Amino acid sequence: MTPDSKRFLHPETIKRISRLELRARHIVEGFLSGMHRSPYFGQSVEFRQHREYTFGDDLRYLDWKVWAKHDRYYVKQFEEETNLRCVLLCDVSHSMRYGSGPLNKYEYGASIAASLAYLLLKQQDAVGCLSFDEAPRVSVPLRTKRNHLDAIVQALEVSRPARKTDMYGTLRNAAESYPRRGVVVIVSDLLVERPGLFRGLKLLRSRGHDVLVFHVLDDDELDFPFNGPTRFEGLESPDFLRCNPRALRAGYLKALEEFLAEVRRGCAQNAIDYVMLRTSQPLDVALSAFLSNRMAAALRG
Amino acid sequence: MNFQFPGLLGPGYLALYAAVALPILIHLINMLRHRRVEWAAMEFLLASHKKHRTWVRLKQLLLLLMRICALAAVALMVAQPLMNNQLARIFGSTRTHHIVLLDDSLSMSDQWADTSAFLEAKRAIERLGKAAADRPESQQFTLMRFSHVGRSQPDMQQEVVNREQFVPKLSSLLERMTCSVLATDGLPALREIGQILGDDAGERRIVYLFSDYRLRDWNDASEAQRVLGELAEQGVELHLINCVDRTRPNLAITDLEPAEGVQAAQVPFQMKVTVQNFGDAAVRDVPVQLEEDGHSRSAVTIASIPPGRKVTQTFPVSFPTAGDHQVIARLDADAVSADNTRYGILSVPAEVPVLLIDGDPSALDAKYVGIACAPGGSVKTGLLPQIETPRFLSLKPLDSFRAINLLNVDHLDASAIEAVERYIASGGGVAVFLGERVQPRFVNEQLYRDGKGFFPLPLRGATDLPVDRLERAPDINPSDHFIFERGLSDPFVGMLSVQRYFAAADQWNPPADSTIEVIARLRNGDPLALVRAFGRGRVVVFLTTAAPTWNNWARTPSFVVLLQDLQAFLSQRPGESSRLVGTPLELRLDAGQYQSSVRFLDPAGNAPTGTVEAVPAADGALTAAFSETLSAGIYQAVLTKTADAAVEIRRFGYNVDAAEGDLNVISKTDLATRLKGVPYTYSQADMFQYSVGELAGYNLTQFLLFALVLLLLGEQLVAYSAGYHPAGQVKGGAR
Repeated sequence: MTPDSKRFLHPETIKRISRLELRARHIVEGFLSGMHRSPYFGQSVEFRQHREYTFGDDLRYLDWKVWAKHDRYYVKQFEEETNLRCVLLCDVSHSMRYGSGPLNKYEYGASIAASLAYLLLKQQDAVGCLSFDEAPRVSVPLRTKRNHLDAIVQALEVSRPARKTDMYGTLRNAAESYPRRGVVVIVSDLLVERPGLFRGLKLLRSRGHDVLVFHVLDDDELDFPFNGPTRFEGLESPDFLRCNPRALRAGYLKALEEFLAEVRRGCAQNAIDYVMLRTSQPLDVALSAFLSNRMAAALRG
Repeated sequence: MNFQFPGLLGPGYLALYAAVALPILIHLINMLRHRRVEWAAMEFLLASHKKHRTWVRLKQLLLLLMRICALAAVALMVAQPLMNNQLARIFGSTRTHHIVLLDDSLSMSDQWADTSAFLEAKRAIERLGKAAADRPESQQFTLMRFSHVGRSQPDMQQEVVNREQFVPKLSSLLERMTCSVLATDGLPALREIGQILGDDAGERRIVYLFSDYRLRDWNDASEAQRVLGELAEQGVELHLINCVDRTRPNLAITDLEPAEGVQAAQVPFQMKVTVQNFGDAAVRDVPVQLEEDGHSRSAVTIASIPPGRKVTQTFPVSFPTAGDHQVIARLDADAVSADNTRYGILSVPAEVPVLLIDGDPSALDAKYVGIACAPGGSVKTGLLPQIETPRFLSLKPLDSFRAINLLNVDHLDASAIEAVERYIASGGGVAVFLGERVQPRFVNEQLYRDGKGFFPLPLRGATDLPVDRLERAPDINPSDHFIFERGLSDPFVGMLSVQRYFAAADQWNPPADSTIEVIARLRNGDPLALVRAFGRGRVVVFLTTAAPTWNNWARTPSFVVLLQDLQAFLSQRPGESSRLVGTPLELRLDAGQYQSSVRFLDPAGNAPTGTVEAVPAADGALTAAFSETLSAGIYQAVLTKTADAAVEIRRFGYNVDAAEGDLNVISKTDLATRLKGVPYTYSQADMFQYSVGELAGYNLTQFLLFALVLLLLGEQLVAYSAGYHPAGQVKGGAR
């Protein structure tokens, strides 16, 4: 592991999540046999269904017992398991550089991405990464190799972020770059235009991807604890505002709440897993809680 | 609008009032000192700002305005604004009537350092007048001295206050004003003010009571409480202003009178001077300077006077000639000077005429009494006995006699009884000796009249006193009355014997509420001699004879002494030598002897009333009155005789009320207790200047205080609403 990878890979987090797995909730198209359900029927131990024989079916799967009973040709279909193809879309725009605690949003989000990459590579899934702001900055192809983690961590290192985020363009790019169904993990503060965001998410879902959104926000953004005369200057916009923050707090929180509700609703409508994380939350706790829940859901489903 | 302390708004205090601009300054500084935050979620902040911009600015402006107003209110409160224009009608009336009652009684002359209570009062009133003149609104000023109540109009009555005329007039008036030596009370002034003020008439009325608040005046304050309470109920604001800061020690001559004894020319007699110490510490070796007819004589020294006590010292006097003689006593200077001097006028005749009325034609009793009064020879007693029959009483005026003796009188007609009773009531002295001719029925029905007559007791009848052969006790048991002091002392009392006397009616005892006193009893307990006051005079009754028919008294040496002391006692005229300042000087003149024109001269020798014409009274005498007796000293009445147009001068000594020398001041707490339920403001005269302004208009200080409280509460509410309160209260937030 290179020194750079240590920036985003925290031993505590790794230790805590290493016993967990990231399971695809939806069917994914892997290229190796693995622990994730595949859209293909093939050799497997898990019977799925019978289907009437059509021309061209492999006669090896013909169920002779059914022919003997009903005098009809049915083939047995088995659920094929495959490995996961996971793309980590990490927002490295300027807005992610805000932070009031030890980690800013960018560092927190990059840590999530790195931790997930470590976990996926550990379970021999293929992981790719795409860091983006107003355009894709660094793209790392899907690989299953253990040493692929370094490439991902380096991709997350963006020293000069752009002052704008093009979420739709990024998601569309991802949908086109990764045509096979897989897991798309988006780590962002989502401070972007909502229509573009939802269009992008919808596009990913329409391509069959299992989309997972990690919404990273700082405590200050959620609580707005500012007091005294303050000049707020936009991180991704030229706007500025000189005000008494206490006077605007209620209106700010209301607007924020509406935003969060809209995002939650948009994700729910597209069957997207939405996780909101505060940068003050311990990363290991937040991630392990999410993974545990997802595992439980996958086992149930 | 005016200000009680307009100087506080002057250029010198500009820096102070620049504080009003502090909120703006702080706001501007905050504009420069704001924190800079690079913020990601500008979208929501801008949305909030866009939505609430108007309200936020409005609240901020409101907050700024309230803070400026709060500071301005504090600044105004310091200057104490007075509202007196139309707007003031909301708070109160716009016309103010200042009614100043000035106590100019003697005790107000209490002086210390270079000032006095009266001077302090005048200064405070002048300040009040000037402050009132500084206001442009309608104001009236009434000034009344205690001593003028009932005598003359107030010094100022509803005088319109203005700067040009009023202030000089008030200053001039106060400069001329002097403290009187009268003992005046504030209650009549308050009652008169209540009548002057009448109904409210929409004006603000303020009564200022400038006085010295002596404890003796407030011992019974129920009436004052009632009168002040009535004024307060009429809407009058009361300001009690004390002109003295503390109680000071003071000595006063309370009495200067002749002691008992015959007062006649060339006859030595005693005078007594009484000094009271009103301080709270004993004084020693108090010299009293004496003056007789303008000539100083040796002073008498009182060794010690305990605090609050009186001490009387006697000194002998003797006047070689008949006429009015003046005696003046003086003390060294102290807090109140007027009570350090006492004036006494003694009308000393060549001889004191004594009338002896004997009911017996032989006039045996009168002869014994006459000889006792004037033994003749080289012995000069000063008494001039004149023996007459009972008819004399109804025929001749009795005023010229200093004493009348009724001896064994069996009958008096109604006019004689009336003349005798009038004589006693006007201050004369009568002695009665009984005898064989006296009829108890006549005495009881005509002279006693169930206690209404001058005779002090009802008689039962003449009775013999049984001879005491065993105990040999004295027949007479005298008291320590002045009459018996010399005449019946041991061993003379043992030499007396009484054989017969008139016994009092059965079960008779002196009524408890009367002035009748038994001054000598017989051996068997029956009364023998009685004394009583009747009107201003006195009556002494002996229930036995003057001549040695029923007793052996006239044959003993004590008889002469006792009779002379009896006549001295009867001829006394207490208070005649001294009168109280302020009481009118009334003269009764024999119309046949004097012309009706009388000139009264005050102690300075002026005749303030010119020549006064005496008017005939119902009894034919002439009466003349002089009421300008407002200062202590010797007054003179210049009379002209009808016969030879000769001028006769009568002198009268007028003195201050010694009680005014009591300078004990009531404490503020005690005053509040006595005036419980009466709303008033109490202040010291020297501090009064600081509260003058509020009296001349509606003082907005209280209103400003109320407004300030509301502003501060509102400021907190708006500040809370505008989100200016500390962030520690912030909880939760969006999730």
